[in-house]
Amino acid sequence: MKLSLSSVYRPYRFPTLINSSALGRPFCSPALSSPSTILKPQVPLFLRPPINSTKLCDLKKWHDWAKGVATSIGSAFVHSDNGPDSSLLCREIKWLMEDAVEDHSVFSHVGLEGDECVKMRVDIEELYCLWKQRVQERRPFQYIVGCEHWRDLVLSVQEGVLIPRPETELIVDFVCDVVSKNEDLKRGVWADLGTGSGALAIGIGRVLESEGRVIATDLSHVAVSVAAYNVKRYCLQDKIELREGSWFEPLRDMEGKLAGLVSNPPYIPSKDISGLQAEVGRHEPRVALDGGIDGMDALLHLCDGAALMLKPGGFFAFETNGEQQCRALVDYMENNRSGSFCNFEILADFAGIQRFVIGFHQ
Amino acid sequence: MSCFLRKSLRLKGFSLFHHILASSTWFSCRHFSHSHSLPYNNTSPRFLVPSGSYSNGYWSQHNRFWTSETAATEPSTSDGLTLQGILSYNWAVLDENDSDWKSHASAIAQSIHLIKRRLQWRKLKVRLDMLSVQLNKADLWDDPVHAGKISREHGSLLGKMKEVNALEQELLEHIDMIKLARQENDQDLESESLKALLNMRREAKEKELEALLSGEQDSCSCYIEVQAGAGGTESMDWAAMVMQMYKSWAQQRGYKVTVMDEMPGEIAGIKRATIKVDGEFAFGYAKAEVGVHRLVRISPFDSNKRRHTSFAAVAVIPILGDGSTHVQINESDLRIERFRAGGAGGQHVNTTESAVRIVHIPTGVTATCQNERSQHQNKASAMAVLQSRLDQLEMARQAQLNAHHTQSLTDITWGSQIRSYVLHPYRMVKDLRTNYEVSDPDSVLEGDLDGFILSYLSASLDEDEDEA
Ligand SMILES: C[S@@+](CC[C@H](N)C(=O)[O-])C[C@H]1O[C@@H](n2cnc3c(N)ncnc32)[C@H](O)[C@@H]1O
Repeated sequence: MKLSLSSVYRPYRFPTLINSSALGRPFCSPALSSPSTILKPQVPLFLRPPINSTKLCDLKKWHDWAKGVATSIGSAFVHSDNGPDSSLLCREIKWLMEDAVEDHSVFSHVGLEGDECVKMRVDIEELYCLWKQRVQERRPFQYIVGCEHWRDLVLSVQEGVLIPRPETELIVDFVCDVVSKNEDLKRGVWADLGTGSGALAIGIGRVLESEGRVIATDLSHVAVSVAAYNVKRYCLQDKIELREGSWFEPLRDMEGKLAGLVSNPPYIPSKDISGLQAEVGRHEPRVALDGGIDGMDALLHLCDGAALMLKPGGFFAFETNGEQQCRALVDYMENNRSGSFCNFEILADFAGIQRFVIGFHQ
Repeated sequence: MSCFLRKSLRLKGFSLFHHILASSTWFSCRHFSHSHSLPYNNTSPRFLVPSGSYSNGYWSQHNRFWTSETAATEPSTSDGLTLQGILSYNWAVLDENDSDWKSHASAIAQSIHLIKRRLQWRKLKVRLDMLSVQLNKADLWDDPVHAGKISREHGSLLGKMKEVNALEQELLEHIDMIKLARQENDQDLESESLKALLNMRREAKEKELEALLSGEQDSCSCYIEVQAGAGGTESMDWAAMVMQMYKSWAQQRGYKVTVMDEMPGEIAGIKRATIKVDGEFAFGYAKAEVGVHRLVRISPFDSNKRRHTSFAAVAVIPILGDGSTHVQINESDLRIERFRAGGAGGQHVNTTESAVRIVHIPTGVTATCQNERSQHQNKASAMAVLQSRLDQLEMARQAQLNAHHTQSLTDITWGSQIRSYVLHPYRMVKDLRTNYEVSDPDSVLEGDLDGFILSYLSASLDEDEDEA
């Protein structure tokens, strides 16, 4: 375990982190127009007060319009960049209404006719605006409603924070498995590096014993603020600590002490960024996606750090871009960090793509 | 006062007549005199006789009867009217609001009759006698486990029988009261008795429904699945109509409806869909709908306006409660797949599609859920569907092992053709099992299914009875 501390703690070289607007497109969100100011996270639509009132028939007009727009898309987005088809967009309309209308059970017994009013969390004009953004700008649905349903959580998200992916849910299952067999790990300190919305940290925080804690780090100020908001919403402030900074920099005090370390770091090779689906490439933060030339910059760095930070028997899980990165990572561990780790496993996601590398510290 | 008394007496399960005798001091003189003008009812099995206080022929006869516990003579009113008698008069059952005692009596008698059929009354009596014989054996308690079993079954059957007998008794007593009130021109008593009869009618109706739905899983929530038959868009449109019919039916009944999975057709309708229907007795009712539903109409998709026949199959799966035994599912027997997966996934993709399909490899049974907004939740819901399907499969297997049930697996899951919906050239919906029919298909398609369901459920009682 010959590891130079300086290399792990050195300020990480950010491959393309010149600016989030590197793609030359301004973001819709005011949050990102001044990223350096102290950020007050946006409240997800479904949690906003229902202070607006709209006639059911007007809502129906919106609904029919939105549906028409969605239908006109057909499979155009699918063909251009594997984006959503109209049936997916139609389902999003339903969910948008669920989030926007205070008591959406009215639909089942009243239908969408009539002069009756419903209470809404957003006014109807803005609803038109939001749907236009969804289809014309390809703004992700999750940014429109300000949340993503992930595992059994509803996490607040906004521009500047990666929308957590369904694949990543599985990392919490891996941790569940491991801690159910090992009380010691269940009571230990875990780290989630590059926490984004706080998804993994919160998921793990909820499966640990009462003494167990999670330290979640991120370089992005927006991410840390949003993660803090989500942590608070699930009343986990005592359990989850947020630290702003690059990878292991904020974790110097934890050397050799971590029971577990998980991360879903940026892993997309830089050259692939420009071809991404519009929702991702145009709207999600590049710092959350771009993993350098081969996409492995952060993963290798995390590997080095894990060897240093984990205590003996500690567990790690990393998400990768797929089979190639999984193999490369395991090779790296075996050749460069031989003796540090054991019991590696490459695990697939539900689409059958080899997605994760998990293992233990010797 | 008297009204209250009668009610409280009934609650205690005592015969009115006994109370008139035993607690006569509570009664106003007027009612007391009424009771005196009544001839003694000689059949009540609940008659508690103060021992030795009477020695006439009637009481000794009654005492003898009491010891055998099961009714030997048929109970009747003072002028000899019996339950069978009421049934055979076939008095019209009018609306509840028509205060006609014959109508009430007829409705109550029919309910009681149905409850008896459901309980397989004759068999029940035979069994009860057999159990009584065993209970009287001197060496019964040599085998305490066996004895316990026998006495528990005896107690439970006796309880059921007493409950029905009490209903019958009560009906006859009310009729006596009404006749008496008329004789005596006592309008208060008449209207009071009529009211009591009406209450009883409602009560009996509820009991009747309970009796119809007394199957082991009947009280469960359930999944309803509709699958389009062969015939492309035409059938997929029909499948969507059938699914809509069940959604409306369930909502009208106050059940909670959740779409679990829906596979839309390319042009219209659905290839298949699964809804969850939450609420008491959802399965008990919905199980009557299992089978193939056939539609005849002028196709809206045929530019030549020809007549088409389409089919949709309906399956209903009970969701067993926590108390019941579930099939054990091994994690390693499952294959979990992302639905509509494709491309690189992970950070590359933003999608709101997170449906998963779970395949139970040993049986090939699958379940998909896509109504939830997270993959985790979709997986949990799909697991619940899978669990119910495997439970149902296991129950079907058990039932097949059990000689009483001859139903085949396919009968249980998809079944054969049960109902025709004709929109052209005439309009009619007809159940092929019961011949129950309705000339207004629209109301049926809007969820008005209770007539079909109840007639099927009572018809299946007849089958049980024939089997018995
Ligand atoms: C792919 S996102 C994952 C977010 C979250 N863990 C999830 O799974 O949804 C990668 C995260 O790493 C963060 N990140 C990028 N570079 C970082 C660095 N040098 N130090 C710490 N975090 C970094 C990004 O801000 C982003 O939140």
